Amino acid sequence: MVERVHGLTFGFPRMDKEAGERRDFLPPLIHRLADLGCEVSVESGIGSGMGYLDEEYAASSRARVVDEDTAYRQDVVVVLRAPIGKFEKIRRGATLISMLHFPTRPARVRHLEELAIDAVGLDTIEDDEGRRLVVNSKAVAWNGLEAAFAMLERRWPQLTSPTRGPVRVTVMGAGEIGKHAVEAATKYANPERSDLLMRYGVPGVEVVTIGRNLTCDDDYLMQRLTATDVLVDATQRHDASVPLIRNGRLGLLPPHAVICDLVVDPYLLDADPPTVRGIEGIPQGNLDRYAFDVDDPAWELLPPEVPTDNRRAVVSCYSWPGVHPKRCMELYGKQLVPLLEMLVERGGIGGVRPDGSFHERAFYRGSLRARSRPVPVRELVGTS
Amino acid sequence: MHKEHGELRDFLPDLIAHLDRIGAEEIVLEEGYGLGVGIPVDAYLEVSGRARIGSYEECLDQDVVVVLRCPDQRELRRLRRGAVLLSMLHYPTRPDRTALLADLGVRAVSLDAITDRSGRRLVQNLEAVAWNGVRAAFREIQRRHPHFDHPSRRPLHVTCLGSGGVGGWAAFAATRYGDPELRESLVASNVPGVEVTVVDFDLTWHEDYMLGRLERTDLLIDATRRADPSRPVVPNAWLAALPVDGVILDLACDPYDLDGSQPVVKGVEGVPHGSLDRYVFPPEDRAYDLVDPRIDTTHRRLALSCYSWPGLDPVGSMRTYGEQLEPVLSVILGKPAGDWDLNGASQVERAVADAEVSRWLSACTA
Repeated sequence: MVERVHGLTFGFPRMDKEAGERRDFLPPLIHRLADLGCEVSVESGIGSGMGYLDEEYAASSRARVVDEDTAYRQDVVVVLRAPIGKFEKIRRGATLISMLHFPTRPARVRHLEELAIDAVGLDTIEDDEGRRLVVNSKAVAWNGLEAAFAMLERRWPQLTSPTRGPVRVTVMGAGEIGKHAVEAATKYANPERSDLLMRYGVPGVEVVTIGRNLTCDDDYLMQRLTATDVLVDATQRHDASVPLIRNGRLGLLPPHAVICDLVVDPYLLDADPPTVRGIEGIPQGNLDRYAFDVDDPAWELLPPEVPTDNRRAVVSCYSWPGVHPKRCMELYGKQLVPLLEMLVERGGIGGVRPDGSFHERAFYRGSLRARSRPVPVRELVGTS
Repeated sequence: MHKEHGELRDFLPDLIAHLDRIGAEEIVLEEGYGLGVGIPVDAYLEVSGRARIGSYEECLDQDVVVVLRCPDQRELRRLRRGAVLLSMLHYPTRPDRTALLADLGVRAVSLDAITDRSGRRLVQNLEAVAWNGVRAAFREIQRRHPHFDHPSRRPLHVTCLGSGGVGGWAAFAATRYGDPELRESLVASNVPGVEVTVVDFDLTWHEDYMLGRLERTDLLIDATRRADPSRPVVPNAWLAALPVDGVILDLACDPYDLDGSQPVVKGVEGVPHGSLDRYVFPPEDRAYDLVDPRIDTTHRRLALSCYSWPGLDPVGSMRTYGEQLEPVLSVILGKPAGDWDLNGASQVERAVADAEVSRWLSACTA
């Protein structure tokens, strides 16, 4: 095979987040770019949170281990979570690929534009039907439910008893995350455990999923809460200023019940309009701490105007996919490969056509360029 | 595709434009291509100067033949040795056809066998299976329920068997009556919504639980993928517990085949097997009498079953398949079939190589 050399250089800096954030892109992605003929610079220590060594990244002749500043000075900079506070390290005209959340971060968009960074939001790369190409909603659901069942087992020893009835899980919200939450819940978020319990004749899990047209029905909801062992919030609210379930209603849940928060909206009571959590009076976790028993001091740290009288054990994490970092990054890596292959093939973002191939169109949609020069979907698709 | 009258699907002009972009020398479209989905032939010819109209036989004579549903065996014999056939070939349940393709030296690539390393299909439309089936089922319920759109009615109860790819979408669609606009109008009128209960194989074995559940079910959905398809999940006798106006929706669409080397029955015993021409079967329908007499059909409810649910929305279905096929066709036109790398860095190339018939058969016998 004739070896090709591409002029495009890539930089992979580390993330500078909470201690529990162990994710970085994995060596196979780096090697794939090097195989395409690109020079790839990775920051020293990348992947160390998952047990990888610098040498594993530098195994390709075109990959090298560098300091943070050098990693940020490449033509294309790829980092999973937005590198807040480090945008200035990126060269004008360079491309930044990251979870940038353009729609909800207008100040960030302005800042990137001022710095002339050609940014692409991983979370806004979408196909012609609006489906995200780089997404791990399955891990949100499975990791969250895994933590919920671990907490339930601690609080409710009958979980493994053949004499109990089916475990009752209520999933609020039936969208992308809710769909995966249903599947995860039917298997205790652990297929091996599900098989084992079935072999011992333990009844399985009954999952009830309800959409907005029932979550707003108070009579129905009161009845449902009394028959719920695990309550899952996977909603996408139209109005984030009002909770779906008031704290007073949580008293209807059995004392052993666990609340699984997959949405993880913050409390922003001073914003206009304010944002409150879907289930009122529960703490918010992160990768450092995401399981909260009823006597956890985390409740005392909530804003004092938020009622917390009724408490049940809660699992909540700002970044559920990060609970299993390697699995998460394997998936993101696979999802990124065809997009980066296309980017290299097109010689950089300047060559990516809004009416090009499937991956070009999706990548273009994720860019800041598309925000300033939007192209209607129909025109892109070109169907009659 | 030369199938039942209700099968209207052909690929859309976008895919032809993609073939043109990636260097196809000539693209032959069968006469009448696209008419079923309401697209005039000019729309195809406009997107590529290399596209032309030809006979069905000419289409089969090309280096690469792309057709969603598999041609019959007589037509397969016409394919050139070494030609690539890209189609839904269902290798595991069609062993004779699979062997024939290998014997003919056709480089067949089964669309349903193109998967990533975690087994996820890259060419699939499970979403459409669920939404189209659930929408059709709720239309029947709406037609029969005396208070469907009245605020005084209780929430509707749906029981979904299976929580995998199809089941997840089915539960999602069912919370929205399979029709977001209908849902919005009912929400606006304060009509109680839909409660969907999902149960998987770790509960469906529990007869007492299942009988109690069926008694409270307005719509029973079979979205299972069974490890042992020779046994139903819901024996016909259990259907006696389902309310007389309950509805059964068959999304799994396994056939009845009691004489094959691996017997197959439907997940809900006694439901007729439908197609795009006929997929709604009231209890008194003659179709029940045509079910294999060895199958128990004593207890009957209104049932919906369709071999190809995505075909109910032909344009939407082909738009999805077309998008998924673009990277696959880039691999196929990019290098000869013998060079597709099973262990290469490109996941699409690996997936295509895995789905090629001779390699698939080798992997099965290894």
